[in-house]
Amino acid sequence: MPILCAVIPALALTAGVVAADRLEPRILGLPFVLAWIVAWVLLTPAFMWVAYRSVRA
Amino acid sequence: MNAAVALGIVAIVVLLAIALGLRGVRGVKMDPQEYIVGGRRIGALLLWLLLAGEIYTTFTFLGAAGWAYGKGAPAYYILCYGTLAYIISFFLAPPIHRIARERGYLTGPDFFRDRYGSRLLGALVALLGFVMLVPYVTLQLTGLQILLQIAGFGAINAVTAVAIGFFVVAIFTFAAGLHGTAWASVAKDALVLLGVIFAGIVLPTQFFGSPAGALDAVLRDHPGWLTLTTSTADPKTAGNSLTWVVTTTVLTACGFFMWPQSMAAIYSARNEDTLRRNAVFLPFYQVMLLLVFFAGFAALEILPGLKGPAADQSFMLVVQKYYPAWVLGFVASAGTLAALIPAAGQLLAAASIVGKNVFADYGIARDDASQTRTTRILVLVVALLAFGFWALAKTSLVGLLLIGYNGITQLFPGVVLGVTERRPPGLAVGAGIVAGILALVYFTVSGQGQVGGVNTGLVALAINALVLAIVWAIAPRQRSGSVAPIAS
Repeated sequence: MPILCAVIPALALTAGVVAADRLEPRILGLPFVLAWIVAWVLLTPAFMWVAYRSVRA
Repeated sequence: MNAAVALGIVAIVVLLAIALGLRGVRGVKMDPQEYIVGGRRIGALLLWLLLAGEIYTTFTFLGAAGWAYGKGAPAYYILCYGTLAYIISFFLAPPIHRIARERGYLTGPDFFRDRYGSRLLGALVALLGFVMLVPYVTLQLTGLQILLQIAGFGAINAVTAVAIGFFVVAIFTFAAGLHGTAWASVAKDALVLLGVIFAGIVLPTQFFGSPAGALDAVLRDHPGWLTLTTSTADPKTAGNSLTWVVTTTVLTACGFFMWPQSMAAIYSARNEDTLRRNAVFLPFYQVMLLLVFFAGFAALEILPGLKGPAADQSFMLVVQKYYPAWVLGFVASAGTLAALIPAAGQLLAAASIVGKNVFADYGIARDDASQTRTTRILVLVVALLAFGFWALAKTSLVGLLLIGYNGITQLFPGVVLGVTERRPPGLAVGAGIVAGILALVYFTVSGQGQVGGVNTGLVALAINALVLAIVWAIAPRQRSGSVAPIAS
């Protein structure tokens, strides 16, 4: 479970960046690829929080 | 007059931060445990600041903007690698901390020495860390030079200014140690945050109506600049393909916590839970980088034409040209702290690993007094080497960081395997590191930055792992980790 929570954002920030490398649609003015990266940087703590809870339990 | 206002503000802010650092350690007795790993009782909040303090350096402040200015979208890798590194640290940092506490490690190389039962491996790792910290300290020096020259409107001699700054920071490092560095980081982070909000939001809003307006302007003049495949196809950014961006992200994420000062920060945590919670929440800190990119992109439109390493000066030059001297003074002092405080930590780390794992472990410096003397001399040696590197290698801030990362990441296999129970012999780990470094030397001498688009550091890491596996397979079985604990 912790591993899965880690692998998803890790893939999104490596292989995912290759797939998301587009300018459109722009999100809040950001190029799509930059919006994708920022979104995953902000989502990573959510995923890792789940990992954290499952490690502690 | 302008120069006096701007430089005066820088001087006052630096003195206040040092005072804050010294206040943080008042009444704490200084022994090596306290000095290097903060007595192993640094709690979540201070550890957060310490880790962030080591990470958010001149590199963030000027280097990331410089890359956004000079290279475009490849700068995005900086946003990815830190986040990836925190994910890795969630799994790697707690066992490192547990082992370090049980066995009494003080330095990063202590981990290699004890886990693989080899004093020689400890010394090799210490020397590698020492050498690889030189370009990192050079990065901070280059940043200082840029900031002080721009804040001084060219009126002061850059070399003199950098020398004074470094002297101050060396004194501070000796007096305060790790705890003091963490407290000075509080002041630094607050100022850097203000500086970054100014540069990334206020500045582009005044010129383009909003940060997004700055991006629109960039897209008008440089249509492919903000996406990876298109900006990397631009001849100006040759050498940074999409493959390079992804492999560099992976390489630097693996190397992130391999720095001796990062290992020491892991040791200094109060407990494993503190480290896990830090790993969960530190990515939020990364978002600041987005604003730094905005500053770099805005500068590209306001003040075009800076070439090569000069791009690192881009947004500071905009501030100098279009804002009053006191604004320049505050932005420059944020940047100055972002250079000085990490530089203090890096000098301390470089000197303490060689002092401990070469001079003390080999009995060259036997008693506490001669060890302290050795450490001080070594701080001067690193500083002088960094000066030399600064004078010789005219490369960008990101370029300097990547030189250091290529080398330090060679420790990754040894650290990952080192937390497991079935460990390879020290010979295999050492052979892997030597092979990786030789590969890097070859790539550097032959002037290759990549192999088929892949970052050369990652190629060297693969060679390192391969050699490690081969030697592990053929080396005679032996029990490792049987030496006495390190704490005296």
